[in-house]
Amino acid sequence: MRLLHAVMADIRFQIKQGFYLVYVIITAMYLIIMSFLPDDILAVALPLVVFSDPSVLGLFFIGGIILMEKGQGVLMVLVVSPLRSWEYILSKVISLAIVSVLAAIAITYFSYYPTVNWWLLLVSSILTSGIFTLLGIMINAGCNTVNQYMLKTIPYMLLFILPCFALLGFPYSELFTIIPSVAALKLMLGSFHGILWYEATALAVYLLGINLLLLKFTVRVFENKIVYQD
Amino acid sequence: MIQVENLNFTYKKTRKKAIQEMSFDVKEGEVFGFLGPSGAGKTTTQRLIIGLLRNYHGKIEVLGKERNQWGKDYYEHIGVAFDFPNLYTKLTAKENLQLIGAYYKNECEDPDKLLERVGLLPEKDVRVENFSKGMKMRLNFVRSIMHNPRLMFFDEPTSGLDPMNAHIIKEIILEQKKANKTIFLTTHNMTVAEQLCDRVAFIVEGKIVVIGSPKDLMIEHGKRIVNVEFRMNGNNHAKNFDLQNLGENLEFMNILKSAEIKTIHSCEATLEDIFIKLTGRNLV
Repeated sequence: MRLLHAVMADIRFQIKQGFYLVYVIITAMYLIIMSFLPDDILAVALPLVVFSDPSVLGLFFIGGIILMEKGQGVLMVLVVSPLRSWEYILSKVISLAIVSVLAAIAITYFSYYPTVNWWLLLVSSILTSGIFTLLGIMINAGCNTVNQYMLKTIPYMLLFILPCFALLGFPYSELFTIIPSVAALKLMLGSFHGILWYEATALAVYLLGINLLLLKFTVRVFENKIVYQD
Repeated sequence: MIQVENLNFTYKKTRKKAIQEMSFDVKEGEVFGFLGPSGAGKTTTQRLIIGLLRNYHGKIEVLGKERNQWGKDYYEHIGVAFDFPNLYTKLTAKENLQLIGAYYKNECEDPDKLLERVGLLPEKDVRVENFSKGMKMRLNFVRSIMHNPRLMFFDEPTSGLDPMNAHIIKEIILEQKKANKTIFLTTHNMTVAEQLCDRVAFIVEGKIVVIGSPKDLMIEHGKRIVNVEFRMNGNNHAKNFDLQNLGENLEFMNILKSAEIKTIHSCEATLEDIFIKLTGRNLV
């Protein structure tokens, strides 16, 4: 029940702070760009755009959300309320996954791409969003300003986003699948280009495991750096 | 309600010994004032009891259980109002109360009633970003009591309030005390402490220097005299008389009978005087 209230509170906060409006504008911009692309380029660009939404954008959004909560002091109020740390974090994951899924569906649907596995798109969007939201919370735990957050985000972006380009033809790309973002992009590409069912299952299970591990680790970082400020 | 024994705490990062061998207790239904200058250790002690700092040495028993044995259920029983407003600025006053209230198992007070009590009902649907500091502080305060906690922590509850609104907050604190709630008040405002606290503790450099009821401390450290200002034979006069056998002091009795009394005061010390006397420091 508390978790549900927390998710509703987060959605309300994100709407009132204008995050949904930003999402709508970005999604509209993507759609306009997609409409000009020929089919062969769209086949590569669409999965990348849909993937960038919960990953790169998600990472910046969660940073902004938590910095705003810190700035308004409400994080301290939540810390001295019965809301558990894991509920606070999971509610951020759920609320941002909802926006990511909505944006992914909107961009894909209105790009009129012929073959889409919607279920796989849903699963890959949620799992990708989860990883990057948790990563963002972890990075943000020790930051007080946007600049600090941006600086701390750069190495993570390099580590998580750069290897994704391996999927675009690098000869040893399979090795990179161990990197969660690469596995997530592979699943996302699969929802557009097709993927063997057992490969999709393995990737989804792997990403789910990474999400759970990251959740556990993020709770610990959150308690150390925000609750107790050790 | 709260029992602290031989409490020691050192900040890990700065290695600053913030609390040293601190011992005190707070009884149920009591308003306990924690007084001291900035940096004395008031907030650190409060944060230790609230559960925002860990790795302390000594004992902090709250509501019958060692502090570090409590989980998040602890916050169902306590209410905290920090000395600065922590509110969702894009939400209205009522939305702020509803949003945080939803996290408690206890049924929360009707937000309208709470807002009316602190004079914010007409602004209940106004976004907090449009509130003055005083309005935010009042909203912050009622949010900390809305879930009917048994133990409350208020840090400078009247800071930034005009006298009328400060009076309302003080009235609410006394109402809570009447309802047998326990209040831990952190302040450097001696008047607030005098008016509200059953007992106060003076803290300097992480140590408690004295604990007692404001009245007892003021009498103990005051002068045992009464000061009278009066008008006699067309002139103003002021005179001090020893409290000892005052009723048998003929000069005093004569002034009472024949002069026009302007003022008459016993000369107990103020809490501020006592603080300066005991610590050699000002309460800034």
